[in-house]
Amino acid sequence: MDLKFSEQDEAYRKKLLDWLASSGELISRTMQGTDDSGERNPMQAMRDWQKHLYEAGYVGMSWPKIYGGYEASLTEQVIANEELARAKIPPSLNTVGLTIVAPTMIQHGSEEQKQKYLKRILRAEDIWCQGFSEPGAGSDLASLKTNAVLDGDNFVVNGQKVWTSAGHIADMCVLLVRTNRDAPKREGITYLLADMKSEGITIRPLRNAGGGSHFNEVFFDDVKIPKENMVGELHGGWAIARSTLDNERSGLSGVVALEANFKRLLQLTESASIGGEPAIEDAHTRDQLAQYWIEIEGLKYLGYRTLSEQLKGQKPGSQASVGKLFASKLRQAMAKNALEIVGPYAALTKKSPHVMDRGRWVAGYFDSLGYGIGGGTSEIMHNVIAERVLELPRSVED
Amino acid sequence: MDFQLSDDQLAIQDAVAKFFQEEWNSDIRRDALDDGPVKISDEIWQQIVEMGWIGIAVSEEHGGSGLELLTAAMLAEEGGQVLFPSKLCTAFTTAFALDQCQSGDTAALLTDHMTGQQFVSLAVDEANGTFGPENNATAATLAGDGGTISGEKILVPDAECADCFLVAVRLNDSGALVKVAADAPGLTITAMQRIDGQSISSLQLADVPFSSDDILGGTDDADQVLLRTYEFWTTLISADLLGVTTKALEMTNEYAKVRQQFNKPIGSFQAVSHRLADVKVAEEVGRSLLYGACLALQENPDQCFPQVSAAKAWLSDAAAEATEAALQLHGGIGYTWELDVHLLLRQARSHAVYLGDAAYHRKRIGNFITG
Ligand SMILES: Cc1cc2nc3c(=O)[nH]c(=O)nc-3n(C[C@H](O)[C@H](O)[C@H](O)COP(=O)(O)OP(=O)(O)OC[C@H]3O[C@@H](n4cnc5c(N)ncnc54)[C@H](O)[C@@H]3O)c2cc1C
Repeated sequence: MDLKFSEQDEAYRKKLLDWLASSGELISRTMQGTDDSGERNPMQAMRDWQKHLYEAGYVGMSWPKIYGGYEASLTEQVIANEELARAKIPPSLNTVGLTIVAPTMIQHGSEEQKQKYLKRILRAEDIWCQGFSEPGAGSDLASLKTNAVLDGDNFVVNGQKVWTSAGHIADMCVLLVRTNRDAPKREGITYLLADMKSEGITIRPLRNAGGGSHFNEVFFDDVKIPKENMVGELHGGWAIARSTLDNERSGLSGVVALEANFKRLLQLTESASIGGEPAIEDAHTRDQLAQYWIEIEGLKYLGYRTLSEQLKGQKPGSQASVGKLFASKLRQAMAKNALEIVGPYAALTKKSPHVMDRGRWVAGYFDSLGYGIGGGTSEIMHNVIAERVLELPRSVED
Repeated sequence: MDFQLSDDQLAIQDAVAKFFQEEWNSDIRRDALDDGPVKISDEIWQQIVEMGWIGIAVSEEHGGSGLELLTAAMLAEEGGQVLFPSKLCTAFTTAFALDQCQSGDTAALLTDHMTGQQFVSLAVDEANGTFGPENNATAATLAGDGGTISGEKILVPDAECADCFLVAVRLNDSGALVKVAADAPGLTITAMQRIDGQSISSLQLADVPFSSDDILGGTDDADQVLLRTYEFWTTLISADLLGVTTKALEMTNEYAKVRQQFNKPIGSFQAVSHRLADVKVAEEVGRSLLYGACLALQENPDQCFPQVSAAKAWLSDAAAEATEAALQLHGGIGYTWELDVHLLLRQARSHAVYLGDAAYHRKRIGNFITG
């Protein structure tokens, strides 16, 4: 173990801080959602921001250089993670592309696929979504039914996906389809890359419990997907899907968001009061804040450990579920605590008079509940840890 | 930076585990509950000394191996796993303190400590409702090249085998460490036995004489040395707690695979497996926090307290969670004297309230984050 920051590392930190300071204008434009001509265009603003972040070297840090990445050292990634968390920067538009699709493609994609898609993901030129879940296949994902038949140079796809986050804004989709109905369920699945503009795709937005429209139903009606858009082998998609899920569940990005949440919670305790006292003086609140701080710190170092393993060529395995389970519990605890601190006005809608911070705390609370379901539920995370990390006997026979 | 154990560290870990496996067993701890306090035989301690463990993180300049503080924490963790007494943590801690002191007879005392000629323990806490050296009242008065110490110290480890103590005192408005021999006139040692069979003592000091040569690190930064020493000690106890957590989980994990009820291994019931998964999460987070504390101690020793407190708070809770789960999930056999589960639980509970319990450490963090 080498736990030191060298002089070189500190120089790297300084460079990053200088760059952040000089990026203030673009950051505030992105936060306001306006493009460079001052028109309201949040999507364009976020694409511009990611491109800017990428060109400075802070997106795709761990990726191979040949695919547009930076092959940054662990220390550089740690420093960037710390400083970007500390600074208030806009959220990423393309998390699915960056954290889920790209690592899978780097590992399993063909050379042609890598050349075609990876750089566009880095610059936010393509936004990706994940077409895994179906009405009948959630936790038991391998029972999925969306059907694909190889016809000449194309797959022809029919079926339905659901809960597809960002499906309505996405350019591309990683899609799991069944290509062999007679094989055992894990042996008949193929992994495809679908262009969301393809003929035969219908997208219907679904409103989530918090009122937002972030996920969708996606229907496939004789959709043609070229054969070269297959990742890995025919019927060999399940192993690749597993690695996609492991990537989805790992990564440092969650820590950055949690640190930002924590900072806001801390500010809330400064302005809100409990029993006539500032909340921040309340012993119980202080104890809980300390606990969250400890847990975020733990998650951060857990991330560093995983990253060290990855830099040595180990893949993020089932261990990633440890972080995922822990992070979603923590996010939920913080969100619930915020509602208690806000007090009776916590139950107000965001347009009511006297609502605090334009309803952010309620929105954050609903968001946090989704984290315990999306990407695999907390119960499934428990199963994965029990069965694959602790190697206990399976709880479900299938 | 690399956040994984190096090959060298893994090799040390293996060697240490092997040594414990050959030389130590938990029955010694169980017997000590009736006939305690637990004692490490002279032969075993001699081997530890000869393998150079005590000076493992001591600078080479002072005759140690100069390895990272983390290496000492790793040994403490291995010790926790096999229920080796925390005398090892005490030995590391006093070696750490002496390594940083410049004045007095430090070098000679450190050499004696590392070579097993003398065992040096330390006395920091006082019955003032908090932990650590900051609010100490025990005072030393110096006149010419001698003086006396009066006061009371509590929670002193391994007093029964100590040749002398490093006593944290107030001296001329600053903190200082003064060497006091175990047989010094005016010193009364009251031994107590913890529920885990280890001893803990209080020291009454009534005009205990000392000479100015006994003032160690009586330099400007004595306060800093003391604070750092306490943080290091806390980190070692956290590492011991991690070992206890790991062992409790490992035992229960194995049992859940083999114990059958309703014609199935109990580990296939989610009420069982999900609880174990939660313990696994607590262990992984605890290990990560321990590495974080070692990083802070190494890189930023005078501002390391938030990370040290994070590890101690978390692992105090995690070890309790792991050992209680172990007891519950073993069923009736888990509630017996014969199984090691209660030994682990006793160590977890004893260390959880040692050097600051979880609530105390969260309070420190609360003060840190709210500025
Ligand atoms: C905010 C959000 C975003 C999402 N984004 C996407 C996306 O972009 N792409 C995508 O493909 N999917 C997405 N999903 C879908 C998500 O992956 C599924 O909802 C999830 O895997 C659960 O499947 P399900 O809804 O069918 O619930 P079910 O599988 O029916 O589960 C119902 C309940 O039963 C429990 N359960 C099921 N099986 C077991 C078991 N073996 N042991 C114990 N308990 C069990 C579950 O934990 C849950 O509590 C998203 C979901 C949410 C909430």
